[in-house]
This record gives sequence, structure tokens and C-alpha cells, in this order.
Amino acid sequence: MTELLRANILADLAYYRRSRLLLAFMLLFLLLTALGSLPPLFGNSGVQNFNALHEIFSELNGFLLALCACLGLFIISSHLRNRSLKMVFTKPCPPAVWLLSAFLSAVIVSLLLIFVVLTSMTLLSLAWHVPVRPGLVFLSAETFVVSVGLIAYLMLLATVVHPAVAAICTLVFNAYLFYDAQLWTDAVIRSGNKSPWLRALKGLFHCLYLVLPMLSPFGKKTDEVHVSLRVMHGEWKYLLYSLGYALTLAAFCYCVSLFALQRRKHI
Amino acid sequence: MIVAENLHMHFRTGFLRREVHALSGLSLEVRDGDFFALVGQNGAGKSTAMYCFLGLLRPTSGKVKILGQTPELGCRLYEKVAYLPEEPHYHLYLTVEEATRYYAALYGKQVSNKTINDALERLGLAQFKNLPLSKCSKGMKQKVGIAQCLIHEPQVLFLDEPTRGLDPLAVREFRETLREIHQRGATIVMNSHVLSEIEMLANRVAIIESGKVVVQDELRNLLTLDRELYRVSFEANGQVPAYLTAVERVGNIVKGLLPKENLYDFMDLARSSGLHLHECSLKKTSLEDSFFKIVKGGESPAGSQEMRTMPAAAAHQG
Repeated sequence: MTELLRANILADLAYYRRSRLLLAFMLLFLLLTALGSLPPLFGNSGVQNFNALHEIFSELNGFLLALCACLGLFIISSHLRNRSLKMVFTKPCPPAVWLLSAFLSAVIVSLLLIFVVLTSMTLLSLAWHVPVRPGLVFLSAETFVVSVGLIAYLMLLATVVHPAVAAICTLVFNAYLFYDAQLWTDAVIRSGNKSPWLRALKGLFHCLYLVLPMLSPFGKKTDEVHVSLRVMHGEWKYLLYSLGYALTLAAFCYCVSLFALQRRKHI
Repeated sequence: MIVAENLHMHFRTGFLRREVHALSGLSLEVRDGDFFALVGQNGAGKSTAMYCFLGLLRPTSGKVKILGQTPELGCRLYEKVAYLPEEPHYHLYLTVEEATRYYAALYGKQVSNKTINDALERLGLAQFKNLPLSKCSKGMKQKVGIAQCLIHEPQVLFLDEPTRGLDPLAVREFRETLREIHQRGATIVMNSHVLSEIEMLANRVAIIESGKVVVQDELRNLLTLDRELYRVSFEANGQVPAYLTAVERVGNIVKGLLPKENLYDFMDLARSSGLHLHECSLKKTSLEDSFFKIVKGGESPAGSQEMRTMPAAAAHQG
């Protein structure tokens, strides 16, 4: 089992290492950091430096999340579409192990990238004489937790549908869309429209909102950290709650993906 | 060893979800130690049958057992099984060495560098070991597939068009390797369009037609299907006897096939009309001849160009 996990993870890491997508991300990362570093070179204000750092960090975290989602999507869809799984499943390597390896390798790469961003931000803080705030660690950890859930969710979608459909589902038909739709139907009902269809629609949107995974289920509780990069004592627990949510989501997605993979008529 | 019972495989394809029957009640049995060949036209169902044997495709109905077990994806059974796919469905981002090491490691055992290097050396891949598979030729990818098959000395070997894309030298070496593995006691199931190759290697053959096994027999029995025919060649000085089949004329030389029951009639005719006889010999049947006889219902023009070129053309088409 360990040997199989190791072999699959090493192969997947080679896939990421040679992926042009990752290379493009690294170049983008360097470009963003370089561009973001330019204004503070001409100014000497601590506030200006903090704002620049904050902006770069937020942008990089956003990119990281998008990239981590792609890691999960690409690793599954590329193997399924290339039919290379024929070579894996005709060896004593069960789908459960292969899927776990794919998930773990994506998580490892995501962790590594988050660590690179965090280190860069810390170095930048030191270089610009901005105090290193614990919010950097908090938000990096939060990005990692969110990426764990996202990777698992995208892996599930890639197992059952075309990668383009999976991407559209994640970007468009997500929990936030149905939350907004639920608010909209609620507003229409409050304005006097008592149609039973509208009530049913509201119920449907509510169910979809509850069923679909959320990126940051405790986001409202930690909004302040995103703004100030300061972490209050009671805010760390939300990180733990988020981790619990992400792990539960990942376990559920893993089980459904495995079932879908095993039920595929053709590998 | 390998038993397939009444396998049916139905697909739905296209916009109208038209049903396609890839296998229609395929049954066969491969015995321990056999070198078994699956032969058939393109689309006959050979690869589909092999996918069903390997558990890569779930048949609509029917049963498959390999070494007494039902094959399932990645199950323990594969510790004793190796598979070389028809299409190079490899991990193209890995190098030759990484891929060989990875496939070997999927058996869950430590494989020494020496074993990997020996396998690469043996197949002439040592100098390309750092080349990504995406940049390798089809033949080189096929050699990687062969290398991964040989590392664990499998008990059962499934080969889907194994020599496709290999150069003549590599084909010969591969043939020798297969003979060696077979002599060591492995059971080999091979699917190929190259009938001459099957004739050289296999001891049992199944001919598949429209998703069914139409003939399953010892190769030597299939090669003696036409024992009753004689090949004759003579200078015609009058009418050609009606019982002569597959007649060809080159100038005034007539070539044809003579049924055994007409042999004495023909000899009498030759003697009485003073025919200048060039050849009269028992026809040696190739697997190609038997294949055509079975698949095309005996319409084979023996020794014709069409028969000679078919396997090569089929191999190119895949």
C-alpha cells in the first residue's frame, strides 16, 4: 500500500512538475510580485507598503485557489482522457489507492505553493519594514484548507463529467449563485407575489445552496483578518472548523469519485 | 486458466444512441500454458474481448474467470498478470526510465535499479532512458510496454497487437522473448492481425467474427483445413477441366487448385491429352488461407494477392 501510494504520488508530482500550467502560474506569480513591488520602491510610507503587500497577498491567494482547483481537475481528467489508467488498473493497484494518491499529490503541490507564497510575503514584509502579521499565516492556512475541499470537489466532478462542464459547474453553478437566487426569490415573495411556484423555487435554491460545497463556510467570522491581517484570539478556532468541513467534504467527494470510477463502463 | 462464457457487450453510440453489439455471446477457454491467439477482422471484437478479460470493460452479460477469479480493476489477481495495450496509453509526461520504474512499482514491490536497467538494455532503450515518452516513437513506446510486462515474470500475459510499430529487428527479438517466456510456463493470450506471426508463435487460435468465436482450435488443425487440395500448374493445350478452382492464367500456363477426389481424373486427362505438367503438389495451408476460408466461407482465392496483402493493410489500419 505505502509503496503503491509512493509510486503514484511520485508519478503525479512528475506530471505537475512538467505541467505548463504550473509553469505559467509561477511566471504569473513572479510577474505579479514584481509589479506589486514597484510602487513601494518609490514611496517611503509604511501604510503604502502594507497596502501593496496586502494587495499582492490577496491576489496571489486568489490565483492559488484557482490553480489548486485546476490541479484536482487536470490530474483526473488527463488520466481518464489519455486512457493511461489502463496501465495502472491492470496492475495490482486498486482505484482507491490511485485516487488517494492523486488527491494527496495535488494537496502536496498546493501546500508547497502556499508555502512559497507565504515565504515570499514574509520576506517582502521584512524587506519593506512592515511587521510580519500573523494574518499572513492564518490566511495561508485558510487558503490551504479551502484548496483541500476544492481539489476533492473538482476531482469528483472530473470523474463524472467532462472537465469543461466541471469547470463551469464550479465557476457558475456554485453555492453562492444559489444563495443569491434564494435571496432574490425571497425578496420577490416579500414584495407580495405569493405564487406557490416561487415558494417551491425558493426551497429548491435553498436545498442546492445547502448541498453544494462552499469555499469558505466561516468566511464572515474571519472577514476582519482579511482586512487587517491581524488575528484575534477567538478566530483561530474558525480555521479548525473550516478544516473539519474541508476534510468531511474531501472524504465525501473521495467516496463518490471512487464509486463513479469503479462504475465506469470503460477505463 | 482463462474462461469466458457467453460474453455480450453492447454499447450505445452517436446522437441517436444507436446500439452496437461489440460481443455477441463470445465464449472461449484458454488452457494453462497455451500460447493463444485471437484472430479476426477489424471490429470483430478482439480488443473488446481482451478488455473484458482484463476487467477494463464490464460486459453487458456473461462471465470471465482468470486463474479462477473474476478480474476487477487493480485486484490482487494482477500480481500474476501482465498486459501490453494496443494503443500507447502510457503516462506520456514520464521519461522512459521513470515510466518503466513506475509500472514496475505498481506491483507493490521494490524493483532494483539493476532490474530496470537490464530490461531497458535488453530492449535497446538504455540510451533513451531520459527521453519523455511524449517524444518517443510508437515503437519505442511499445518497447516500454514490453519492458514493463517482462519485469515481474508474469504467469499470464495479455498482448494486444504487440509488434505494431516495431522495427523488423525488434519484432524478431520480441518473438524470441515471447518464446522464452512461454517455455518458462507462462500462458500468453495475443491479439494480432499479423497471421504469419501467430503461425510462428501460437499453439491455439480462436477466430472471432462479429463478436463471436467461430472457430477455436489447435493451430495445427487449422493449418490442415485444406489438406484435400492439390496445387497444379500445367501448359494448357485445350479446355481447362471444370473441377479446377482458383484458376489463374499466365500466358498458356494454367495454375489452379485440384480437389483430391478429382486427382485421378486429372492424371488421366494429363496422360491422355499429353499435358505438360509443371507442378502437382499437396497444397500447404497457411493460417491466412484457413482464416479466409472460415471468415469468408471458403471463397478464398488461394494464394491470391488479396490474401497476401490483407494482414499488412489491416495492421496499418489498426
